[in-house]
Amino acid sequence: MSHASLNVEIGRIRDLAPGIREFSLRRNDGADFPVFSGGSHTVLSLPLGDRLHRNPYSLLGDPSVRDTWRIAVRLQETSRGGSRWLHEAAREGMRLDISAPVNLFALNRTGRRHILVAGGIGITPILSQARELARLGADFEVHYAYRAPEFGVFADELEALAPGRIHHYVQSRREQIEFGSLLAGRPLGSHFYICGPAGMVAASLNAGKSLGWPDSHLHSEQFLAPSGGEPFDVKLALSGHTFSVPSDLSLLEAIEQQGVDAPYLCRGGACGQCELEVLGAEGELIHHDLYLSADERASGTKIMPCVSRLKGGCLTLNL
Amino acid sequence: MSTPAIKSQPVYTALEWDRAGTHHVLFVAADEAALARRLWAQPPAGPITLILQHAGGEPLAGWLAERPPGVHTIAAATLELALKALGDTLRAAQMGTRLYLVGPEDAIWQAARLADGFGMSRDEMRLMQAGTRARPVFCVHCRTVTRGVHTHIVPCSGCGRALFVRDHFSRRLGAYMGFQIDAEAPGDIPAAEVIYP
Repeated sequence: MSHASLNVEIGRIRDLAPGIREFSLRRNDGADFPVFSGGSHTVLSLPLGDRLHRNPYSLLGDPSVRDTWRIAVRLQETSRGGSRWLHEAAREGMRLDISAPVNLFALNRTGRRHILVAGGIGITPILSQARELARLGADFEVHYAYRAPEFGVFADELEALAPGRIHHYVQSRREQIEFGSLLAGRPLGSHFYICGPAGMVAASLNAGKSLGWPDSHLHSEQFLAPSGGEPFDVKLALSGHTFSVPSDLSLLEAIEQQGVDAPYLCRGGACGQCELEVLGAEGELIHHDLYLSADERASGTKIMPCVSRLKGGCLTLNL
Repeated sequence: MSTPAIKSQPVYTALEWDRAGTHHVLFVAADEAALARRLWAQPPAGPITLILQHAGGEPLAGWLAERPPGVHTIAAATLELALKALGDTLRAAQMGTRLYLVGPEDAIWQAARLADGFGMSRDEMRLMQAGTRARPVFCVHCRTVTRGVHTHIVPCSGCGRALFVRDHFSRRLGAYMGFQIDAEAPGDIPAAEVIYP
């Protein structure tokens, strides 16, 4: 899956709100896109100077529209270049490689009620989930929180999908979602889905757990941008490569720059595909992922190189 | 506990309360006095509903005698009535509910299927086999389920074929797979032995 790619051309670029841009993508060969399910994402390969930068973006369009895929990108203030390139350098007609669709945020088809929550740009996977639920005729509701009225960029599309079942929470009006009351008293078979900022996701999951919701009914997605950090050295035990990871590259990107084929899928700390075995670490492993358990972190034998790094001297990996 | 040779065969562990739950529904179709005593000794927080099936007029006294106060109890004389009571309970239940199923496999898997229909997931249910080991057997030829099978070979209650009872278990159907034992040599049917007491 990691390496299956589709060649696309940027069709239309629309500025939806300050710092939020939507891109329409079409395949260069004119063929249909593969079908995707609600909550799926694709990984874009972006040409940033001398290196290729890969970022995951949710597919927000209608899965039945096979000739166009749509993504929306928020300009990250701490962008390492990906979202900045899409906001400043990308032009209509440019060509890119993107991955086949991947879904780490799928709907539960046996659910009897679906409660979808989006915070800010987290609306993108929620939108495709809502489309799928509307098509299935399922019982669902959407709670959409954003900073100020102009940032509710997909409000109209959502309303058209599920009139009267979209609830808005505008931060500038001091409206916010009270997860304790949102999740209390829900009928059996309810499922909860959230995509948004880390603090909001954590608060909602804690509220659900304290109300007795089981893990199998609480679904969340967050993509982390690899945060930079201090440079460190790496030794790949199997291939024999020795190199340094500069402060502005992730460990995975640095491995790829060596020409070593390392596994990956989401590149955002969520899926677990890129897990590598740590054979030795002179220093402290700085885990940023959402995948490893507390026990696995404590063992010091695993690292997710897409977002995590070493603070210290040399990291030896079984690769 | 022995590990079954066949992966689909359920493995049951001793029942414990799931204290993450906020409402607990206990569906019981077997007299397990020791289990009852252990569970009632440390009940979880939140309301408890006890649905007791006492087939054949057995009193299931252990479940009643040491109940903590406030346990909402529904007694049912047949499995059908007990399942109806369970359906009524789950229809009104909310997220946070945990379901505990104690009894013969036929009863607890019928109850689990009912709960599936309300959208409950396996991490909201705990099952424990108790009482008779008799198997429900699904005929792969005519799709009839023959219930209460104690022997390793049984005539199908639907099509009459002599079925060999396998260990393959379907959680969806709540039954073990049975297939015609004399398909290749008609009439060559070994004597049935009681192996599921």
